[in-house]
Amino acid sequence: MLLSELKVGDKAEVTGLLVESAVRRRILDMGLIKGTRFKVLRVAPLGDPVEIFFKGMYLTLRKSEAAGVLVTKIGESGDGEPMGGQRRRWKFGS
Amino acid sequence: MASFQEIRVALAGNPNCGKSSLFNGLTGARQKVGNFSGVTIEKYEGYVDYREYRIRFIDLPGTYSLTPYSPEELVTRKFLIEESPDVVVNVLEGPNLERNLLLTTQLMEMEVDLLVALNMYDEVEERGIEIDVKQLQRLLGCHIIPTSAKKKQGLDVLLDHVIRVYEGDIEIEKNKLGFRQGVESAIEEIAGLLALESELSTFSAHWLAIKLLENDREVYSLVKEYPVWVKVELVLQKAIKETGSLYKSDPEIIITEDRYAFIRGAMQECVRMPQEGRVSLTDHVDRIVLNRVLGLPIFFCIVWLIFHMTFTLGTPLMEGLDFLFGSFAAVVSPLLPNDTLRSVIVDGIIAGVGGVLIFLPNIILLFLGLSFLEASGYMARAAFVVDKVMHRFGLHGKSFIPMITGFGCSIPAIMATRTLKSRSDRLATIMIIPFMSCGAKLPVYILLAGAFFKPAVAANVMFGIYMLGVIIGLFSALIMKKTFLKSESEPFVMELPPYRWPTLTSVFFQSNIKAMMYVRKAGTVILFAVLLIWVVSNYPRNSALDGALEKQVAAIELSDAPLVEKQAAIIEAGDRVNARQLEYSIAGRAGKLMEPLIRPLGFDWRIGVALVTGLAAKEVVVSTMGTIYSLGKTGESSSELKTILKNDPAFGKATALSLMVFVLLYIPCVAAVGVMRKEIGNWQAIVLYSSYSMTVAWIFSFITYRLAQWVV
Repeated sequence: MLLSELKVGDKAEVTGLLVESAVRRRILDMGLIKGTRFKVLRVAPLGDPVEIFFKGMYLTLRKSEAAGVLVTKIGESGDGEPMGGQRRRWKFGS
Repeated sequence: MASFQEIRVALAGNPNCGKSSLFNGLTGARQKVGNFSGVTIEKYEGYVDYREYRIRFIDLPGTYSLTPYSPEELVTRKFLIEESPDVVVNVLEGPNLERNLLLTTQLMEMEVDLLVALNMYDEVEERGIEIDVKQLQRLLGCHIIPTSAKKKQGLDVLLDHVIRVYEGDIEIEKNKLGFRQGVESAIEEIAGLLALESELSTFSAHWLAIKLLENDREVYSLVKEYPVWVKVELVLQKAIKETGSLYKSDPEIIITEDRYAFIRGAMQECVRMPQEGRVSLTDHVDRIVLNRVLGLPIFFCIVWLIFHMTFTLGTPLMEGLDFLFGSFAAVVSPLLPNDTLRSVIVDGIIAGVGGVLIFLPNIILLFLGLSFLEASGYMARAAFVVDKVMHRFGLHGKSFIPMITGFGCSIPAIMATRTLKSRSDRLATIMIIPFMSCGAKLPVYILLAGAFFKPAVAANVMFGIYMLGVIIGLFSALIMKKTFLKSESEPFVMELPPYRWPTLTSVFFQSNIKAMMYVRKAGTVILFAVLLIWVVSNYPRNSALDGALEKQVAAIELSDAPLVEKQAAIIEAGDRVNARQLEYSIAGRAGKLMEPLIRPLGFDWRIGVALVTGLAAKEVVVSTMGTIYSLGKTGESSSELKTILKNDPAFGKATALSLMVFVLLYIPCVAAVGVMRKEIGNWQAIVLYSSYSMTVAWIFSFITYRLAQWVV
């Protein structure tokens, strides 16, 4: 599924990228590479962009950019808090 | 005095890693700001004399990576390659080491003389994060110095090590990242080929090879120029095929993944995070500030506060400065022997430049506010909150703050667009800012709406004018982004930095820089433009008026009217003489010449003159009208402009509305155009913009005039 299809509180792992050139480079540079696990924290008040959390970073993407990231959901949906029970196993910093 | 040997040190690091604070801590006040050539990215330089060296620091823009997609990254790369600094200090945000290391791996690939400053080390210790610095040094292949810019710790050690790196006195062997099979061999093969090309020896062959595999367009076009390209291309194609079959991926992704793999390994080996259960400050604050319901109201409150602070605190200061310039003019005026000289200096230079400098308090206050928002981490969140609306018009979330600022004054607003990274987003935002009705246009609306409408209606008319500006602005942005600015939009993939309390020095320093840029502007382009407008509205002299005022004054003095009436009569006589002169001047003739052009809008030549002089500053429209409409009035008891306009048969509601719309939309004042020119960087865009705004102004005034005639 795509990152843009996840709901607030979902946890997921990146499996690939569908976008090209500048956007892809940007996403790679921010650390959204295959295997990166993240959590969807919230969507903006108007419904776009979304905010995700991983490796101590709060990252925001427009849905149009998020639609270029392939993911698989992992574990249970949480509550939108960055510090879930699972967090410490695979994230550094806060 | 002993001469120092100079060491040139570049500071590189992610945004928000505390690099600027470290720069300030190292160099103190000994710094200057310029621009990197060709771009409006500020370049900070400063130095410190340490031991027998003068160590000169260049603060490079904050970047996550060294790809050629954003101007910051290009500038950083270009600087590292072309200026080849003696030492590169990579500043890392200690508490968030992992994501900072991507840039470090890329600097390692460039084979620069690297030194790492592990910044915010006080926070690292406070939070109980354990970092095995010795092991990390071995992995990164360079010295790592724990520093804290905030507490001024480790700065001397850092300087000592800069000298050690410069003198080649280092104990740590450089390390190289290894890439996966297939990619690594391709890198070696290409590097081997490139090493044969002597003209490319200024670059690290290893780095060029990696960049080619990463599909880096800049490096591609560089290497393509050389005969060796034929062979290199073959290796590249082979590598792409091989990685495709081995890993179902392309070299660009594999190289990035391997960099992250190296980083993950380093983190596992060298860093132990504490088992902390607490929710960080940032999470707490964002739960409220970015809340789905509260997010927008909070955003508007913060914008309103900044705006209010700028203009309520700023206005008294502005009036104070205005008074100072006025008194200065009054003091200087009698000291000048010659009438023309007095007019140039008092009415031209002091009034003109003063009229520009009085905005300084507003500018400083606004930028204090904006720097605070930026440094605290809220600015990125503001963009997050409003991006959806702005994106609909082809703009970026970050365009909102400059737009709002435009309601106060276009100048700081245009300068505030520097937070936008993509050039097309910036251009579009800059060009619509003047449509946001600025404070100087307000006197015009007050005069016209007040003269022709009842107070309740006048307020609605003014609100309507403001809304018209916003709507035209947003749609102009949409049109621009759909036509000539559609090429490159900034992808919205943006970090929300953790909230931090900004250091006061850096906030003050930032706004000080903006203020100085503005003052320099006032001293050059604006001074020239103001003088030009002075000449245009004063020359040629009408010799028939020589001594006319003196004669009239003498006649009034001799009459036996009461003193109050005498004074009023003298002022009126002065206005009449000035008006005659204005009519005779180039501006007056221009007004008459352009009358056919503005006739359809309901304007006569007198309004034309006011529009010309209004280019100096929009409120001048009112004062010019005051002068010019006193023309030909004799023996009337009240010379108040409002009354004159109301009684003028050529001036009605339709003309008033049309004029308000025209003043809202036509070219902004010279000060704003000057700043625009500086920020955009070329005159063509200004010419294009001017013709656009004039056309829009004409069309909408015409529509307004006709509609109003029909309805009212």
